[in-house]
Amino acid sequence: MKQLSGAIHDLASEVVSVLRDGGHRSVAGTGTAQGDEAVLRVAAARALGADVLLPTTLLRHPPEEPVLALVREAMRAYPPGPDASSATVWSHWAMERTVLRLTSVDGVADGSGGRPAGVPPTAQPDVSDLESAPWQRLTHQLAVLGALAVPGADSAVAELAGRRSLDVSRGFVRAVRRRDWLQAAGAGRWLAAVDGAPGSLGLDAGLDFVLHMGGADPRVALHARAALWMRAAAGGEGVPPS
Amino acid sequence: MIDTPSPGPRPDPSEDSPTARALPPLPADPALIHGVGDRAVAWLHRHRDGFHPRPEPDTPDREVRDRLKPIGELALIGKVLFREGVAGSRQAARARQLLDHAWREHLDGGRLLAWMQREEPLSPIPFEIYVPFRELGYSSPEVEENARLTHGLNSWAALEAMPVRRLGLAAFERRFGLPPSVDPGEAVGATWLGRRPEPWTVGLHIGYGITHTVFHLTDWGENPNGLPADIAEYLTRWLPAWTDDWLEIGHWDLLGELLVVDACLPRPALEDRVWRAFAAAQAPDGAMPAQGPMPEGDEREVFDEVYHPTLVAAFASVLATSRAMGSLIGEPA
Repeated sequence: MKQLSGAIHDLASEVVSVLRDGGHRSVAGTGTAQGDEAVLRVAAARALGADVLLPTTLLRHPPEEPVLALVREAMRAYPPGPDASSATVWSHWAMERTVLRLTSVDGVADGSGGRPAGVPPTAQPDVSDLESAPWQRLTHQLAVLGALAVPGADSAVAELAGRRSLDVSRGFVRAVRRRDWLQAAGAGRWLAAVDGAPGSLGLDAGLDFVLHMGGADPRVALHARAALWMRAAAGGEGVPPS
Repeated sequence: MIDTPSPGPRPDPSEDSPTARALPPLPADPALIHGVGDRAVAWLHRHRDGFHPRPEPDTPDREVRDRLKPIGELALIGKVLFREGVAGSRQAARARQLLDHAWREHLDGGRLLAWMQREEPLSPIPFEIYVPFRELGYSSPEVEENARLTHGLNSWAALEAMPVRRLGLAAFERRFGLPPSVDPGEAVGATWLGRRPEPWTVGLHIGYGITHTVFHLTDWGENPNGLPADIAEYLTRWLPAWTDDWLEIGHWDLLGELLVVDACLPRPALEDRVWRAFAAAQAPDGAMPAQGPMPEGDEREVFDEVYHPTLVAAFASVLATSRAMGSLIGEPA
């Protein structure tokens, strides 16, 4: 497990590095790993989910084949089982959706084998357990699904996050108070994606605060930088803050 | 500065904990809310001698002055307990006896306040304590003369104080019938709450600043309409996050004050989950610990530790019961 957390840390750091520096850099080292390292890297990609492709999604870089291959391999190696949690199912759905979006003009399978057979491209996992969740649990769950919080997100999760944005804002307050930087960054990312936080939350300052206090964890930095990028883009600046 | 009990992240509570259970945010049963206050007032009534500012004949004068503050809190909250009709006859009678006892025995019919005014003419404390007693019909011409004399000094208006304290002084001046020494609107604007800053920066001290700003703006809950609409809206948004946090920490003193704030809002939540936990923290004899479990030890030391959260519990209970019985939940402001 220690090795896996290290691999997740490394892969997240690479994504953060590309987000931070902008420019046409690749998620470095992808595809060069061998043996056990390669296995861990695929597992790490499964953990980060669609966020492995976040630089492509946010910076609109053309998708790079080694990165796509890594995500495809993660989807193939770790399909959600029949007893998978809804978070796992949603994460898988987001990977599949992202790969489809980046490899086709109309969001449907292009025959390259990116989507496992048997899953209709438009089907979305169930979101009903989040509908009635108290705001504390809602925020916790949404933070776990942070990879779905991207510009123009149109999933049922995004629709729910937009509808319950005050609840997510309260969850952001709670997470910062608790020093739970990962949850705070994930909640802040959702609020940036759905643009629903009340002005009095002070989301921009909050994201800077979370990045400063918790950004040593690259998973926190990834969410916070994604959120800051979306805030800057929505504000008309169009460029991610460095 | 944000204060949390530990530098590391707090793990999310387990599903069994009172803060994580997926209960719908229902309002609490008015009987449960009322029970907290009934027990708290009974405890305060039984321990009324604990408020004596000179517990021993040789208590130093400095300690006597320090011990006036609890009497001021007793007067402000006791007045609300007495005035609220829903408190029930037993509770109102006990509150009146507490106030009578405090005025007669602890303040020596106001003479102790006049003594402190002579010792420290510019201290606002005797004036702040006197105002609620005067509103209940107690009177000391000497205290009033001293207050009017001091109020006319430029020094009184120039007193350096936290903005929330300044706001409080302006409110007490209005209640007494003196012209305010500071513009009330400016006084609100200078407080933390008046500026409505980032809600995730709230810590313990800011939390008490928030609650006291609300107390002063609403005349300690007697006039909820005194809360400006923008502040009420801000509190409606963020109060649930703060109550959740101090409930989990088990800081019953601040949680009680936040429940008072809730009861002052246009649509109070009176959240069942929070009130149940608050009621469960109360000792069987009615005392409310300040934080965590009830302290043990010397009776006087225990009194000094728990009198304030117990007063606050009575205060929160009487206002919340009033709002619950008034069927105001869910109705437009």
